[in-house]
Amino acid sequence: MSPAAPGSESSASLVAAIAAGDRDAFGRFYDLTAPIAFGLIRRVLRDPEAAADVLQEVFWQIWQEAGRYDPSRGSPEAWVVMRAKTRAIDRLRSMRRRDRTFVAPVDESVASRRGDGEAPNPAVVAEDRGLVQTALGQLPEAQRRVIELAFFEGLTQSEIATRLGEPLGTVKTRTRLGLERLRGALRGERLSAT
Amino acid sequence: MNRDEIGELAAAYALGGLEGEERARFEALLQARDPEAVRALRECEETLAGLAAALPEPPPAVVKDALMERVAAAPAAARPRPRRRPRVFWPVVLSGAMAAGLAAVVVGWSVSSTYEKRLDALAREADQLRAELNAQQTVIAILRDPATQVVALAGLPPAPGARARVMWHATAGGVFVATGLPAIPAGKAYQLWAIAGSNAPVSAGVFTVDASGTGSLAVRPLPGVASVNAFAVTLEPAGGLPAPSGAMYLLGKS
Repeated sequence: MSPAAPGSESSASLVAAIAAGDRDAFGRFYDLTAPIAFGLIRRVLRDPEAAADVLQEVFWQIWQEAGRYDPSRGSPEAWVVMRAKTRAIDRLRSMRRRDRTFVAPVDESVASRRGDGEAPNPAVVAEDRGLVQTALGQLPEAQRRVIELAFFEGLTQSEIATRLGEPLGTVKTRTRLGLERLRGALRGERLSAT
Repeated sequence: MNRDEIGELAAAYALGGLEGEERARFEALLQARDPEAVRALRECEETLAGLAAALPEPPPAVVKDALMERVAAAPAAARPRPRRRPRVFWPVVLSGAMAAGLAAVVVGWSVSSTYEKRLDALAREADQLRAELNAQQTVIAILRDPATQVVALAGLPPAPGARARVMWHATAGGVFVATGLPAIPAGKAYQLWAIAGSNAPVSAGVFTVDASGTGSLAVRPLPGVASVNAFAVTLEPAGGLPAPSGAMYLLGKS
């Protein structure tokens, strides 16, 4: 992540303040990082209500566990994004489990509404063209696909292999190469932005 | 393990898609602070964070309001003290396992799979409780938000004694509760409609009532609807229709 501009608070110092119980710092850290976390959660979950729930869980956990943040292991932004991703994917998997195993005895319409969470929402699909405009768009299609399936749809490596009909080893290699390339592309963007 | 293999494990782990034995292997490397594994994971996580940072979306204001309230209510003394991660001394663990031999490994596998199942069940339960708690917090946050509309619905000729109430927020959704509605004939259901301006009514969901004529419905945010002028309930074929067709049972204007 880019270093804080001179004069602005660094996100790391905000996390340290949160760990000390500073509620205002928590509010400022939320303003700084929640849109990033929410953008990701929304892409994973699509359902705005579930996404708002997960966002709240993520930041409540951040308030409680700020003292465990270890700057040597990554930026606060990455710390937040990883938590948001884990929570969103957990929720997505539990919704899928429930959709598979739970059939409402009386109100089928509610059960089918619940399924909406996974139906492609035209608004989101259209908006997701935004993905192509990110560094992700600079990846070869095959590498891009494995990253999208894992990051935004919560599929495991073997699920991706099944979905694409490719050997697991190919999926693993593509994932690694895709992330390496993405890293280069992001770095390029940052350089050209400065 | 070579660099590429560690890179593959780190990439899959960062994306949340590493399972079973490979996951355990990579977590053991992290626990042991293997420099290559730590570096590779850090790089992958920063890359994914960079990707997410390119796709921001403003969260609904109710989330921050609810969080700040929870934070304000949390007693300072209850804050967990910063905790160092417990250090597991892996060489000791590993040599112990080796010395114990194959039998212990086999027993260990079956015990760990039993525990995995229990952990899985506990995780599911925690997930459910968390979802319930969140649903309630959402309701409280909705109630406290000045932008929330509260609309009372009164019974119409088919059900003069019926009453209902909708608490509705454009981005957070809302709650609908009704009492005194007649039992639903077979193959039918009540459907709630939101009417905004001169637009056609938008379905806000279908619900049933219990023996006492009480029913409720969680209302999701309605696409493209910022403010509702009226809510109405009609009797429709089970499953609901895209536009109202049956008799109107309840109506309330905001």
